[in-house]
Amino acid sequence: MSTSAQEIEHLISQEYKQGFVTELEVDTFPPGLDEDVIRRLSKVKNEPEFMLEYRLKAFRHWQTMPSPDWAQLKIDPIDYQAISYYSAPKSKKEGPKSLDEVDPQLLDTYKKLGIPLDEQERLAGIAVDAVFDSVSVATTFKGKLKDAGVIFCPISEALQEYPELVKQYLGSVVPTGDNFFAALNSAVFTDGSFVYIPKGVRCPMELSTYFRINAANTGQFERTLIIADEGSHVSYLEGCTAPMRDENQLHAAVVELVALDNAQIKYSTVQNWYPGDKDGKGGIYNFVTKRAECRGRNSKVSWTQVETGSAITWKYPSCVLLGDDSVGEFYSVALTNNLQQADTGTKMIHIGKNTRSTIVSKGISAGRAQNTYRGLVKVAKSAENARNHTQCDSLLVGDKCGAHTFPYVEVKQPTAQVEHEATTSKISEDQLFFCQQRGLSAEDAVSMIVNGFCKEVFKELPMEFAVEAQALLGISLEGAVG
Amino acid sequence: MSGEAYLTEYPAIAARLPGVDLPWLQGFRKQALQDFGVSGFPGNREEEWRYTNLSALNKTLFAPSASQNVDEDWLNQYSLDDAASVVLVNGQFSASLSRLQDLSAQVSVSSLKQALQDRPAWLESRLGQAVTSAEHNLVAFNNAWFADGVVIEVVAKQQLDRPVQILHVVTQADALAATRNLFVLNEEAEAEIIETYVGSVGSYFTASVNECLLGRNAGLTLYKVQLEAEKAQHFGGTYVKQARDSRFNHHNFALGSGLARSDIHTGLDTAAECSLNGLFVAGKRQHIDNHTRINHLKPHGISREFYKGVLDNKARGVFQGRVIVAEDAQQTDSEMNNRNLLLSADAEVDTKPQLEIYADDVKCSHGVTVGQLEEKSVFYLQSRGLDEEAARNILTFAFANEMVDKVENAELKALLLKELLERFPAISL
Repeated sequence: MSTSAQEIEHLISQEYKQGFVTELEVDTFPPGLDEDVIRRLSKVKNEPEFMLEYRLKAFRHWQTMPSPDWAQLKIDPIDYQAISYYSAPKSKKEGPKSLDEVDPQLLDTYKKLGIPLDEQERLAGIAVDAVFDSVSVATTFKGKLKDAGVIFCPISEALQEYPELVKQYLGSVVPTGDNFFAALNSAVFTDGSFVYIPKGVRCPMELSTYFRINAANTGQFERTLIIADEGSHVSYLEGCTAPMRDENQLHAAVVELVALDNAQIKYSTVQNWYPGDKDGKGGIYNFVTKRAECRGRNSKVSWTQVETGSAITWKYPSCVLLGDDSVGEFYSVALTNNLQQADTGTKMIHIGKNTRSTIVSKGISAGRAQNTYRGLVKVAKSAENARNHTQCDSLLVGDKCGAHTFPYVEVKQPTAQVEHEATTSKISEDQLFFCQQRGLSAEDAVSMIVNGFCKEVFKELPMEFAVEAQALLGISLEGAVG
Repeated sequence: MSGEAYLTEYPAIAARLPGVDLPWLQGFRKQALQDFGVSGFPGNREEEWRYTNLSALNKTLFAPSASQNVDEDWLNQYSLDDAASVVLVNGQFSASLSRLQDLSAQVSVSSLKQALQDRPAWLESRLGQAVTSAEHNLVAFNNAWFADGVVIEVVAKQQLDRPVQILHVVTQADALAATRNLFVLNEEAEAEIIETYVGSVGSYFTASVNECLLGRNAGLTLYKVQLEAEKAQHFGGTYVKQARDSRFNHHNFALGSGLARSDIHTGLDTAAECSLNGLFVAGKRQHIDNHTRINHLKPHGISREFYKGVLDNKARGVFQGRVIVAEDAQQTDSEMNNRNLLLSADAEVDTKPQLEIYADDVKCSHGVTVGQLEEKSVFYLQSRGLDEEAARNILTFAFANEMVDKVENAELKALLLKELLERFPAISL
């Protein structure tokens, strides 16, 4: 072995770079959850009556549900009463009119994170909605988007300004009782992004949201709702970070996408929540429900995710392919290191005729981590000529980690063609040796091989994100094989 | 609760089951009964049973039958002339139908009942070694209800000079045939065993469990030919414990029954090898579930798995294959493949190939396909003068025949071909 154990140790133990805490005055509810908390939450946010009912219905249902235990995850029991369900930077109270009024400390935080929140960085050309703990702090490029007819705003604002749109679509993809964490989110979500792209509009820029959990003992429950009306097109990015804390923090988000006739949604995620330290202390519990409905003919939804953070990831971005000729795609890189656990994958539900789906999943497991791909491809009887191809590959780095593959394939239509293939292997010594004898260091060789391994997914990411994703992989993994 | 009627009936049956005078076996059965009593037959909520519904077992109370009536002419079509044979009629060993006389002295073949009388201590240390009630409640059910079975032991370094065929025959309507079979191959022993399941009546319930204990460097080839009657409920589990360097080859042909579930589970010690082949062909309203588990416990193991399914009419096929590579099992080499052909709009296939890997230096892969016959190939055959039905039959047959081709026993191969061709009547070659 050419790379010394020490070197590996060093590389694996790279610190979490986004782990700073921002000292801000915050307005936080005391920990605990009951109907009063939900009523208070709804009141603080000045929500329409239907929202409160929606939340209470979800909460009542949630109380009857058991916490799911089917995933290949070891989760310490979560005390839902020890979490605060609302935390907002205090300066937000009056509501900033423009970026100038946003707490400069906050802007600093985002600068540290490298988010082009400043409109000066207009050239970056990305409209950003930043969510800090529970509330949305600023949305950039509002004017330009408005000209195009695109609505891009915090969902709390959408509830004030476009309540009928929200009412029509909220919960129509992920119903309140869908699963334990979705029900919890429906009851207590505090903010998130709302996007509506009108008929025939091609969104003039990439939309982006940054999430950050800052305050201690809070959970983040954001809700994203994206509606692409007929013939529209949107690309949406999300990124997440959190400070380093010893306790586990809960993140339970719900993302709903609706694509109507000929609409296209591209949803990219770079998830870099704090993964906990090398002994598995602290870190974010990331329980996310993401689902897209291709309701219209010829619509398309593409999920791309790079999952490098979180102590526990439980996430299955799915596509319900209702419209004829609709297309679902899922590209994923999931990296787990140290004691991280990830159980992630997708569901492709084929209902319409000639629907097609592609799944490419790359799992990399290092340290003592467990990495699971869990996917469902379901072809209903009505889905004539449905087509699916699934490929999931796992790369093992270190002898104490695990990589698991649990695909489910259910086909009720004889004209469907479904393929699934999976491999698990480690970086071969031959490959390493070859690169090294060409003059690359062991570190560079591994980095190159891992990047090559993930290339199929990275090429789906928008340019800026692809760079970030590669850098993230670099931090966590470079040369971690010997 | 599921299985309640069986529990109520149990005390009346218990006295007739073998081994009433053996305290260890009574304890074994009691534990199983308790486990079964908790939730009855496995339900869809259990992950390993999500695609298979056993509710039919609750609709009819299948009961053990002492009947030994068999139409020998009918049975002969399934028996292999070259093999020694053990016949179990309605779950009971039939001395008159079995042909064991010309087996060498290096192998002992007897009914389970006989073995319980002759060498209870030997059985005590082996029964339940490869599987326990904790696996699932059909195993628990078998542990409590088994009435007879076959015990085969091959002496170390010996080779069975001819295959042994075990014919499971059911001739009584609504009968329960619960058999327990134990195959012990001592060090460097070799054997070939063929299990055949047939029935002459419509509805009955077969619940059989095989335990195979393979010693160091032993080799077992086990064929399962499931040709149960149309409305039969079939559960057949084979659980294998493989010592160092042992080899286990399994061929599973599931062609019959109304509802069938096979378990083939094996655990591999260092450098052990296994190959699991399977073919399931189902039509009408048949439901065939194949559940395999390969547990690589130690380094250098090799496993190969290949299952093919053909589903027509309203049939439903299930393939669940699981490969587990333990932390210790470095340099495991494992491949799994499942290919399915859906021929009808009402047929369904559910497949779930799983890899669970805890070691890093391994080579594991799996692949699954679900599809239909290629129109181009059908057209080609039609252009050569065949009608469409014949063309489709030939292509489907060829798809399935790949698995039959892997059978080395010529007589068995002929029997399987005949069974397979009956299912594709348009082929007249």
